[in-house]
Amino acid sequence: MSTPQTRPIDPNTEAFLKEAAASPFDFHSGSVKAAGDEQLKRQINNAVTPRDSARKLRLLEVPDSNKLRILAGQIKQHTLDNLDYYLEQLTANVEKNGGHVHFAADGAEARQIILDIARDHDAKRVIKSKSMVSEEIHLADALEQAGLEVVETDLGEFIVQISKDRPSHLIAPIVHKSRQSVATLFSEYFKTPYNDDATSLTKQAREHLRDKFRQSEIGITGGNFLCAESGLVCSVENEGNQRQSVSTPRVMIALVGIEKLVPRMVDLAVMLKLLTRSATGNAITIYTNLYGGPRSFGEKDGPQEFHLVLVDNGRSEILAGEYRETLRCIRCGACLNACPVYRKIGGHAYGGVYPGPIGALITPLFEGLAKFKDLPQASSLCGACYEACPVKINIPKYLIQMRRDINRSHLNGRGERIVYRLWARAFQSSLLYALIGKFQKWDLRRRAHGSGWVRDLPKVAAGWTQIRDMPAPAKKSFHEMWRSRRFESMDSQTDASAGISPSPGGRGAEGAGRSRGDLQ
Amino acid sequence: MNSSSRQTVLSRVRKALGRDGALRDKPIPPAIEEPIARLVYSDIGLPELFQKRAREIAMLVEQVRIDELLPRIVQFLREQKCQKVMLSSTRILTNLGAVHFLCDNGIAARTWRQMTADEAYDMDAGITEVDYAVAETGSLVIRHRPEHGRLISLVPFVHVAIVQPKDLLPDLIDLFERLAQEGTGSGVTIISGPSKTSDIEMTLVQGVHGPNVVKVFLLA
Repeated sequence: MSTPQTRPIDPNTEAFLKEAAASPFDFHSGSVKAAGDEQLKRQINNAVTPRDSARKLRLLEVPDSNKLRILAGQIKQHTLDNLDYYLEQLTANVEKNGGHVHFAADGAEARQIILDIARDHDAKRVIKSKSMVSEEIHLADALEQAGLEVVETDLGEFIVQISKDRPSHLIAPIVHKSRQSVATLFSEYFKTPYNDDATSLTKQAREHLRDKFRQSEIGITGGNFLCAESGLVCSVENEGNQRQSVSTPRVMIALVGIEKLVPRMVDLAVMLKLLTRSATGNAITIYTNLYGGPRSFGEKDGPQEFHLVLVDNGRSEILAGEYRETLRCIRCGACLNACPVYRKIGGHAYGGVYPGPIGALITPLFEGLAKFKDLPQASSLCGACYEACPVKINIPKYLIQMRRDINRSHLNGRGERIVYRLWARAFQSSLLYALIGKFQKWDLRRRAHGSGWVRDLPKVAAGWTQIRDMPAPAKKSFHEMWRSRRFESMDSQTDASAGISPSPGGRGAEGAGRSRGDLQ
Repeated sequence: MNSSSRQTVLSRVRKALGRDGALRDKPIPPAIEEPIARLVYSDIGLPELFQKRAREIAMLVEQVRIDELLPRIVQFLREQKCQKVMLSSTRILTNLGAVHFLCDNGIAARTWRQMTADEAYDMDAGITEVDYAVAETGSLVIRHRPEHGRLISLVPFVHVAIVQPKDLLPDLIDLFERLAQEGTGSGVTIISGPSKTSDIEMTLVQGVHGPNVVKVFLLA
């Protein structure tokens, strides 16, 4: 069998990209472009593949990581199922600690609340640490438009900010950038000679940001968890920029989604054990911060005023529907690192704030299925995300449900719906199914010309072979193999299961090709 | 606007959960089963485990007797070329007269009480006592309070921490149970190594916005 070839992007992709650029969001053009960018793919793979392996290794320290993940999922699910109770408990406790609690029904309200706080304090500079919600509600833009200086202080986010880029990973925002491009950026921004040593670059950012920390009136952070029982925000980081936000500015604002709650302090221990292991493969982050009110009497550092902004922005709507489970997400990024699709296209192609498998699921929920109807297709449904998820969100199941929603609400084309209807009909009849399968197999093998790889598929299925070759189906289908095996060894279970386990080489690859055809 | 938004969000959440009003009974969260969640059980060997784990996360650890503590601190600060040092105004350091000892040995030392918060940014090292240390992860736990500023363990390049064996806890579960019982003051920081980043091409760099050296003196 010949090896698959890497090819340059099809010439007709050019036209495709141009056409797609006109529409506001187009997953296909973004993903085709990214998948054709060898350097980007290498970069992303170098960053996320070791993290994925590190996660698996680190989880072996836990007696039974599956049970721990089930427990974590149960804790989050219980909280979501009783969210009204825990929101009230949290509010009461933050207020008891001397903090202010604000509820924001949507992004606009959240931005206004923060602008009002800034105005009350006549603030000119805001230091900000990493917060996915702030990206979600486009906070930095709003603050800058109001004349405030916003300083992103997480190294990755700082680089994103000064290069006017967007983050492409939940916890490693600049996986798509090379060291050289950061060096060029810094030499232009700071007007210093080019130096691409990561330590020097980090030091340069440290010096620059240190003065900003020292003279800032407002610190804004996100939060990984909210603890109802104590009224505390729990947030984790490695750099120390968030600790600066909790220590130096006069006013501190924590911006957190309402779904981040857990009931008890001890729940934090469970969640933390899973969060860092899943995110980076470490046992714990360098800093775990717990805060929830102003400094106490006599303290010299820490905020004099503490505000917690609880953001709904579509979450209560998700809570009401059948996708409630997706709100368990603790934004660890493990599903991104594990995902074969993310590894090929990176985060930007997903178009939303949240990339990867979880992004494919929640971006349409947050921003509308009509606009992001392509995202639920951005998955091979292999299940790696579900296997990686520390809170056991069944991402593949919900992606399939969402595909169903798209079909039901007629967001897809009429032709596609007809194909689905016919497909469903064929699946209900074993005779039709076998016939179509036989025809498909014959046709694909014919197109492979005996090479084992299909290079060009006709129009409707052209996407399959635009970037890579498709393995031709095996001579015998799974059904045929299964049938013959069963007759060979009716009495032995092990033989039958040996027949379906993928063997290295030909049959494994061919089997993969077939199942893909089925899922299409 | 504020209180009305609170009502809006809460009623939306209630509606989403299919409820008319507030819950009558307190919901009962899932039980934390220790065999599943706990990684460290025993009280035996905590100092050894703590040292091992702390070293794994790039902290420098040394076990000392209390009478050796101050001379060892001085020696370490000299090795690190730290001139200006701040100390938390906490019990052991106060009782041992650490400030005088350091000053007598040519180090410009000041306690947290003797300085302003902004001056912390000019210091070379900060010396603190921790409230707890967690053997499972090798972590140091500090409660924010007037005598123990947040910046001491954050802004200098060198952080020196003193850990008493009685404050060692086996597991993170024990830590959070303690914090729930004994309170968190105005906040808590859990420190597990020197500040780091690997944002640029996964290259590990130590000492980003916090210290790049964390030295732990574990009292024998």
